[in-house]
Amino acid sequence: MGFGQFLAAPEIKLKIVTYRDVFQNTAQETSRFGEDYEKLSAVIKLDPKDMVKLSIKEGETVVVKNAFGKVVVTAQSSGHEEAHQGIAYMVNGPWSNALVPDETGGTGVPKFKDFEATVQGSKGEKVTGIRDIF
Amino acid sequence: MSEYYVCTGCALLCDDIEVDIEGNKVATVHAACRKGVARMKGCSDPMECTVDGEKAEVDTAISKAAEILSDAKNPLIFGHGNSSSEAQKRSIALAKKTGAYIDDTSSFCQGPIVEAILQDKIKTCTLDDVRHKADVIIFWGADPSNSHPRHLSRYSYFPRGKERQRGWEEDRTAITIDVRKSDTAVISGDNRFYQIPMGGDAEFMDALVSALSGKVPKTSYGFDVKRILELSGVLKKAKFGVICVGLGLVYSLEELEPLFKLMNKLNEVSDFNLIPMVGQYNMRGFNHDLFEETGYINRVKFNPETGEAEHGAEQSVVEALRNRSVDAALIIGSDPLSSLPLSVSRYLAEIPLITIDPCQNLTATRSTVTIPCALGGVEAGGTAIRMDGVEIEMKKIVDTDKLSDEEILTRITEAI
Amino acid sequence: MASVMEIYQLLPKTNCKECGKSTCMAFAVDLLARKVKVDDCTPLVNDAKHKANYETLSEMFASVKNVTETGLIVHDEKCIGCGNCVVACPVNVANDPLGAGSGKAPTSDKVIFKVEDGVVKARNVQECRRFGENKILCVACIDTCPTKAIEFV
Repeated sequence: MGFGQFLAAPEIKLKIVTYRDVFQNTAQETSRFGEDYEKLSAVIKLDPKDMVKLSIKEGETVVVKNAFGKVVVTAQSSGHEEAHQGIAYMVNGPWSNALVPDETGGTGVPKFKDFEATVQGSKGEKVTGIRDIF
Repeated sequence: MSEYYVCTGCALLCDDIEVDIEGNKVATVHAACRKGVARMKGCSDPMECTVDGEKAEVDTAISKAAEILSDAKNPLIFGHGNSSSEAQKRSIALAKKTGAYIDDTSSFCQGPIVEAILQDKIKTCTLDDVRHKADVIIFWGADPSNSHPRHLSRYSYFPRGKERQRGWEEDRTAITIDVRKSDTAVISGDNRFYQIPMGGDAEFMDALVSALSGKVPKTSYGFDVKRILELSGVLKKAKFGVICVGLGLVYSLEELEPLFKLMNKLNEVSDFNLIPMVGQYNMRGFNHDLFEETGYINRVKFNPETGEAEHGAEQSVVEALRNRSVDAALIIGSDPLSSLPLSVSRYLAEIPLITIDPCQNLTATRSTVTIPCALGGVEAGGTAIRMDGVEIEMKKIVDTDKLSDEEILTRITEAI
Repeated sequence: MASVMEIYQLLPKTNCKECGKSTCMAFAVDLLARKVKVDDCTPLVNDAKHKANYETLSEMFASVKNVTETGLIVHDEKCIGCGNCVVACPVNVANDPLGAGSGKAPTSDKVIFKVEDGVVKARNVQECRRFGENKILCVACIDTCPTKAIEFV
């Protein structure tokens, strides 16, 4: 037991951009309740510098939340050449949709691809299962 | 072999697919992409026929579904992107009969673009035109390498066509405009990738219009003027250009005006067309069907007395759920609890739900009635409309005991 | 893939010539180019003291067992079956202009690339432009791959 557990894990506010991934889509066709679908969907891709700020390592889980929802997902380095501090990427799916605001300005179109959330190390919490998102 | 089938993995509806069948199952799929193969082979957890969480006979489930819809004052019928055009027409008839809200996924994705095309506000062409003629192809907020894997190889970049005989290196220029360096951007090449900030699309369009008009293109985010001028030079010289519009662009534009302006300008100086990168295999089919019936492509509520169609944002699936104005829902070929924001879809779990789908999904886990249907394009035939508006005939590949979605909807309608 | 030196270090280094090569270094070069097999080195196979090295080398070359004569590897797990290589490959275009060359499913048996079950399969590799007397460094299939699933070693 380290001293760390008594300190609040650092928390940062990020812009989340969602995208599509053919492997995740393939897993969805096979089973929405399968391990592969969770492994490929419940992920947030971060800038390495943001990972340092959060003091988390590749593959650790983080809590991503805002006023609309909260999920625990696996953190990965985005691997993008260009730095994108303050922006994180999540693949389109139930985990990202748990965080999409319901505000539409009456247009009928939520902001699926552009919303904010705070990210914080989870201290070993398990990834939110698809049945538990709800 | 040599009999070709249609893949329903996405709205490219690839119609050059051969399959090997073993024991009435699709064993090997030829030419389809990874995602298409997964679709055609079927899911590992099929949906069961249930009423109130208990296994039930299809007849019982259909009567229960009919009962729920008759009891509801303002039912919602939603989904349709993964249904044949025949099933969609049944759905529209059912909505009319029950005075229901009817909508599809286009309501919160490609709807505005398809609407503009059907209303002749935007010039469009077919994917075959693209293959035969296109020399400048723009992927705007689209990453077909992930969403429509065979788009570049079948139509837009790599294939030889009548007027494009020399191959992509000499004959075609692919351009990607996006907020991130996608796989498609990598294929376009660094000098043909234009990375813009989130929400910067409209301004980039205005800047291109300026450049095409001989003015200095300016953006508030200081995009390299030289690069915009160079891009406008490429667009000007295009013999046959096409813009493939992805969700990244649709979500970024608050209104379509900047896109109309750009298309008009491009067609003054060159020849440009636009194709929406429709996701689900027959989303566009639903838009055509409803348009034919009501003059609207989506977001309709039928008046229970007069049968008249009311249309607007208020009638959209998202607003209808946000305002809690629906009291039961029939979901067909869709999983709104996965695909809608949870903040919006949460309400669905509070009302009686009916789900029709080949596979188990999140919405089904919250449904009063679940009715499994045949997998479109594999266990049932029909017609569908490709992303570019071309009608494609789907043949059945293997037999099944399950009813098609068209049959299920017909029987529910009859039972009301 | 390992370097020539790494491979050489795992060989007996006796220059026994049993394999027909003049030195172990020459054998290592040919092994890397896949002109010879690990098992062509008889002392390595038969002598117990080389057992560990034999296993290491066998594993090294087994892991790329999908390698064709031209050194072409398809990493199945990365391939998305988009068919870009199928359509871009100049040999496919020449042998099947109206099928593969036109973006459709191949209609000829002479194509090099074909997508099966969502993953590209290479065959007829002797037709590849990187093979044979007049070989050239063609990169059509590598450059067009969105996921870097094709590699030449």
